[in-house]
Amino acid sequence: MTYTGALAALVLSIVGLSVVSARSIAGDATPPSAHQLRMGKNVFKAACAGCHKWHGGGGGGYGGAALSLRKTELSRDQIIETVRCGRPGTGMPSHDREAYKDKSCYGMTKEEAGNNLPPVANSYLSASEIQDVADYVIANVKGKGDPTLEECLDFWGSTSQVCNEFKKTSSEEKRSQVHIQLEVTR
Amino acid sequence: MRSRRVSVALAAIAIAGFGYGSAIAQSKSVTSERLLNASKEPQNWLLHHKSYDAHRYSSLDQITPENVKNLKLAWTMAIGGIQGGGLWTHGGLEATPLVEDGFMYLADGWGSVYKIDTHGGKGRLVWKMDPKTDRDWAGAVTCCGVDNRGVALWHDAVISSVIDGRLIATNKMTGEVIWTAQLADPDKAETVTGAPLIVKDMAITGVAGGEFGIRGWLAATDLKTGKELWRTYTIPAKGEPGSDTWKDSYNAAATGGGATWVTGSYDPATNTIFWGTGNPGPDWDHEYRPGDNLYSDSTLALDADTGKLKWYFQTTPNDAFDYDGVAERVLVDLPSTNSKMMLEADRNGFAYALDRDNGHFLWATPFVDKISWTKGIDPKTGKPVEYDPKKDIQLYLGVQNRANPVSKVCPGNMGGKNWPPTAYNPTLKLWYIPVIESCNQLTVTPAIPGKSYKPREFFTGGGPKQPDRITGSIAAIDVTTGKLVEKSRTPYPMLGGLLATPGLVFAGHPDGKIAAYDAHTLKELWSFESGSGVNAPPITFSVDGKQYIAIAVGLGGAWPKWFIDSTPELKNIEPSSMLYVFSL
Repeated sequence: MTYTGALAALVLSIVGLSVVSARSIAGDATPPSAHQLRMGKNVFKAACAGCHKWHGGGGGGYGGAALSLRKTELSRDQIIETVRCGRPGTGMPSHDREAYKDKSCYGMTKEEAGNNLPPVANSYLSASEIQDVADYVIANVKGKGDPTLEECLDFWGSTSQVCNEFKKTSSEEKRSQVHIQLEVTR
Repeated sequence: MRSRRVSVALAAIAIAGFGYGSAIAQSKSVTSERLLNASKEPQNWLLHHKSYDAHRYSSLDQITPENVKNLKLAWTMAIGGIQGGGLWTHGGLEATPLVEDGFMYLADGWGSVYKIDTHGGKGRLVWKMDPKTDRDWAGAVTCCGVDNRGVALWHDAVISSVIDGRLIATNKMTGEVIWTAQLADPDKAETVTGAPLIVKDMAITGVAGGEFGIRGWLAATDLKTGKELWRTYTIPAKGEPGSDTWKDSYNAAATGGGATWVTGSYDPATNTIFWGTGNPGPDWDHEYRPGDNLYSDSTLALDADTGKLKWYFQTTPNDAFDYDGVAERVLVDLPSTNSKMMLEADRNGFAYALDRDNGHFLWATPFVDKISWTKGIDPKTGKPVEYDPKKDIQLYLGVQNRANPVSKVCPGNMGGKNWPPTAYNPTLKLWYIPVIESCNQLTVTPAIPGKSYKPREFFTGGGPKQPDRITGSIAAIDVTTGKLVEKSRTPYPMLGGLLATPGLVFAGHPDGKIAAYDAHTLKELWSFESGSGVNAPPITFSVDGKQYIAIAVGLGGAWPKWFIDSTPELKNIEPSSMLYVFSL
């Protein structure tokens, strides 16, 4: 990178950070708008749901063992830092183009993070996308119990059959196990 | 029940439709006789793997090692199906195009079928059948992308699968849907990504969902009526043969995997279907399911008329590595030794040869650079040398278990060799394998009976991570000796599969390169940069007396979402959906 490029990156990084911190302080007092939550859901669907699942409950899978965002105790600022910087030593990727270029990620540069440097996400997120997704997690995911039909329909909409499973009665829910067991090869 | 739900309301129209079709026939009916003799129509590509023996070999020889340097783009066509859905931000193309008498039939990832007229040195869309897939319903429960690996031809109909579990018969002339059958149930995380295999008047369909706790099956559909003829489960029910290889007390077999998501092959001489099965579930926590876990990671030889099991051969008993044995089965005759072989390049890093009439093991050859889970395959039994039939949990080299939950394993869980098909040159007796040279880091998370399995949720007992770079190669095995005789290294894993012609091997690469290699030396002789990613197999066909090479371009599948950290440059590949056709 040229000196000018490095300077530009540094300036952008500082600007980005100042926007994040200004919003994050204001965010505590000003609830996110419905539009921001919708934007946050779109980001969540594209960038988070693969590993953390649509409901944020996490679990295993090809994306690795993602933590439950329903059970998270992270604050909004901590969620923002985690999305920006990833989690060192785990598969949770960084989503901020400027992550680890200075010490704004856990006080570490890329060199200092060394082998613990998290992977980089497939697509970077902008500062406002990161705030929107953090607001979405705080409002719709953090602290929730088991996922419900209402949540499922809210996430996917009502035109898909994706929420069929939640529409079944509890006895039907047990069906898949028992039913499979009793099926006989024809 | 839902999974057997069949809609045949239009059965009568089917017959009428066929009559109408033949009245304006532009091409002959694709009869069983033609499919049995598919190799005798070199101008066409009538079956998914070109011929029932899955050779993916064409005898067309206008394009040679000498003139392939002059190969150039003839025409392209934009294909649809790029929309996201469920977990996926975009679809991709994995399909093998079929060609019959100058007309091409191609599927996109969401199951739309395209009929393309290839006459006159250009492509013209004749019709498109859009099945209006419920993208979130299926897309939220596919481990590995928005995938459809191709269609099948039967008489005057195109038979195609949809990822949401449907099998559809479409009038080949008009593009109108004749009937629809619901074979798989996305409510149970069952999806369909493989091309149907036509045998007589049946379509044989496999199921995907081995990462979601399904119980695998193969189903035969009567193409005259759309009704199911047989369904064979790959994981036995209680009391059935093989059920004693699930030794737990909580019915782990009910969510035991054994998916069947790659199209098999067929030997008409014995009326046998050969089909591979996938990993047991949960993928990485093999201590959840003590026993060999039959019939996961196995070759199944099935009677085509009844679906009854004739024999099986398992490659990775009590698999802890996600080593699906789903790859296509390649049928090879060697008259000199009176040998009737069945070949398979497994995700576990070994290429296997069996006697296809009885399943007896012949040889196994490692085709990847690094194998860390076993020291090798026992030349007598065909089992990994550490395998102990008296043990409930197979530790192999002890690289992966609950006591050692984080480990590096080679090959990584994509293989080895994944679904992208091999090709076989029957003159040179060389079998070409598209290789993923990989290790990855696996973490075991113990599955808890009664708690960890949830419908439509990943049920994997852990997950992978990609700390190391992954590359690829094309390997050539001499089937007369079982020896690896050539290897051509590639900077990226082979995610698209191969085509063999008399003097050449063709392949597409995930960075967009489409290339031809010398059939003897695997030296690259020609390449073209498509400017996007390839994970579909090339084919060749002839129309108006001229030979063409065709390949679908558009990187989808599992790689961009889950494995991209091992190939960081591929993050720069933009989604696309295109057909490329080349000629001299």
